[in-house]
Amino acid sequence: MISVESVVVLSAILFTLGAMGVLLRRNAILVFMSVELMLNSANLALVAFAQKWGAADGHVFVFFVITVAAAEVAVGLALIVAIFRLKQSINIDDLHQMEG
Amino acid sequence: MTIPALGDLNLYVALPAIFLALFTTFLLIIDLFIAQEHKNNTAYLALGALAVAFVWNLLTFNNNTTAFLGMFVADSFSGFLNMIVLIGAMLTILLSMDYLRRMGIEQGEYYSMVLFSTAGMMFMGSANNLIVIFIALELLSIPLYVMAAIRHQDVKSEESGIKYFILGAFASAFFVYGAALIYGATGTTNLPAIFTAVGEIVNTGSDSIFYLVAGSALIIVALGFKVAVVPFHMWTPDVYEGAPTPLTAFMSVGGKAGGFAALLRVMVVALPALTVQSGDAATVWQLTLAVIAALTMILGNVVAISQTNIKRMLAYSSIAHAGYILMAVAAAGTAGVSDAATRGMLVYLLSYTFTNLGAFAIVITLEKEDGTGTAIEDFVGLGRSRPMLAMMMAFFMFSLTGVPATAGFIGKFLVFGASIEAGLVWLAVIGVLTSVFSAYYYVRIIVNMYLRDTDKPSEIVGETQFVKYATYISFTAVLVLGLFPALALNLLGGAQITLASLF
Amino acid sequence: MNFGEGLTPEAIAFGLFTILTIGGAFGVVTTRNLVRGAIWLIVSLFGIAGFFVLLSAPFLASVQVLVYIGAIGILFSFAVMLTRGMTNLKERFNSQWWLAGLAALTAFLLLMMGVVIPVFGNTIAPVSDQVTSTVDLGVALVSGNQYVLPFEVASLLLTAAMIGAIVIAREDD
Repeated sequence: MISVESVVVLSAILFTLGAMGVLLRRNAILVFMSVELMLNSANLALVAFAQKWGAADGHVFVFFVITVAAAEVAVGLALIVAIFRLKQSINIDDLHQMEG
Repeated sequence: MTIPALGDLNLYVALPAIFLALFTTFLLIIDLFIAQEHKNNTAYLALGALAVAFVWNLLTFNNNTTAFLGMFVADSFSGFLNMIVLIGAMLTILLSMDYLRRMGIEQGEYYSMVLFSTAGMMFMGSANNLIVIFIALELLSIPLYVMAAIRHQDVKSEESGIKYFILGAFASAFFVYGAALIYGATGTTNLPAIFTAVGEIVNTGSDSIFYLVAGSALIIVALGFKVAVVPFHMWTPDVYEGAPTPLTAFMSVGGKAGGFAALLRVMVVALPALTVQSGDAATVWQLTLAVIAALTMILGNVVAISQTNIKRMLAYSSIAHAGYILMAVAAAGTAGVSDAATRGMLVYLLSYTFTNLGAFAIVITLEKEDGTGTAIEDFVGLGRSRPMLAMMMAFFMFSLTGVPATAGFIGKFLVFGASIEAGLVWLAVIGVLTSVFSAYYYVRIIVNMYLRDTDKPSEIVGETQFVKYATYISFTAVLVLGLFPALALNLLGGAQITLASLF
Repeated sequence: MNFGEGLTPEAIAFGLFTILTIGGAFGVVTTRNLVRGAIWLIVSLFGIAGFFVLLSAPFLASVQVLVYIGAIGILFSFAVMLTRGMTNLKERFNSQWWLAGLAALTAFLLLMMGVVIPVFGNTIAPVSDQVTSTVDLGVALVSGNQYVLPFEVASLLLTAAMIGAIVIAREDD
């Protein structure tokens, strides 16, 4: 049998990998993919905990997280494509229009 | 399986927010039939909806009850907060109407986005469940990302949108993971139920406390990003500078109000019992928040000094003000101080809303179509060329500093008082010192306006009807609140967060 | 993790999905090619769907495949194609990578303390076999604990996001 705690530890590792991706990568799409990894790690933890408590609340939460992720992706990718059209670059380091 | 009747939902108390949300979806459709030349009509409709919600909110004020079977709280805290965000949204729309036309970016959807975001803030202030907080947080943020990037041809605006978006999405991920850990420790996402469970965990010394501490830390990080406190403030100045100015004003006021409301509610309703040992007066998270508040006040004020652009300066000033408000949340971590701290935070938010929107109204008046006119140098000689405008700007700057007889003073007074009552005297001292320090850069604007003279005072291009209204309203409010603070305090009455049905 | 009873099918599946999830995530964080990044992401999401099955949440597993892999994965591929020219990256990490790495590492250690300590406590319990069916999920959504409010706010959110995406993507006329 697998235990809830082992899944949670795994989700924490995934969360950190995602956070590292956000902080380390400079391409906006890869940064955003890393955010998706973080959201998924949270989903994993939620499902594991829902199993621990034997209630469906955690599953409902996951349901909403997936909804929100879909909404975020729609807006985020639109933004990324829009800035690419203007600048031909989606590197976050290149966003140096503003200094100070 | 029981399906509750509609009556059980107690919809009545949630009506202001529900009305606004429903009206927004209608407005999206109505807007299609409004010609581009008459987009002001969309704005009037949006203003009307906000006004209706405002009146409705006054009617349902102080109900102290829950709706949606415990998912939604309507207490005096949420009532007062709704008032603040509705006022903020109304002034924002007044500021936006001519500005958008002037800049050639007028789109009917802009107003719907403002309303969506406002509805998100209202749901956030009333949320009694981590799931609702999460979704309301997104409803608050996603329209802001869109509006920040609404100036399609302007790289600065698009960059502002994308930076705000990545920051916001990153923060949401932290929030969900934190909520997941709290759910793991307590088995519920309902705030009052979390409170009960936390009490048991602390009493029994269960290992779940580690989940709780890690979870609440992640939630503090997430909401810290949203309200822009140090060290999560990195991109705030860029976002504020690049976004259209009325929206910058809205983000600095409304976004903050929503974020702090959720933070305070999570901390005060769900986690007040999270102490090192059961029976301790102060919570585990109090010191963390106090240190963050201190760093935020110091860094925000110090960096603001070196800014040459007024939008960037106001961005750093808004970071500093987030520090003062966070001080109230930290004070709420001491048992028995939470009511005083809540009142302090609400009054601070109200006065900051009027003052900051007023200051931004003046900035909009000076801003030219090509985006220039926002340098601090552009204020030189304003005292002679436009005495009335300069006088109001000076007054807003005094209020941001916290000079007595302005609204800003009342807010600071209450927050510092709560902080001292909570035993965080050192934090109050830092607050007072940084306030004095902040006078340096606020007064510099006044010096530029009155004491320096120039042959070519900047041209005033944006002094249009609605911007004027917004400026006068803010000015009057700052003046009245400053001279008769009793008005706000009476309305506030016993404003407090309903601690569910536990007490 | 307790493999004391030998390699049960669950343990093998657990190991396999761990490799998929973590391996995929590692791929996203380190790849130099955006297309590969999108595929690594899908691999990782697929591993998560596997975990959902292991944790007796078959409905969520199918939603994960349909929405995350099907819709979101494809959207990412589109975005990669629409931003051509950025597909191959010269530099892997941003200029302040060491600072960011340090921050991430600190956060990781703190987080691990939070989630690992309970593992060594006495709270370890095997996962129950109770399968959360679609019916359970549906009931939880509309009755008992009442998720009507988040459900409605989520629908508002989707409307706002849809309109917002159009506002951003629309060419100025």
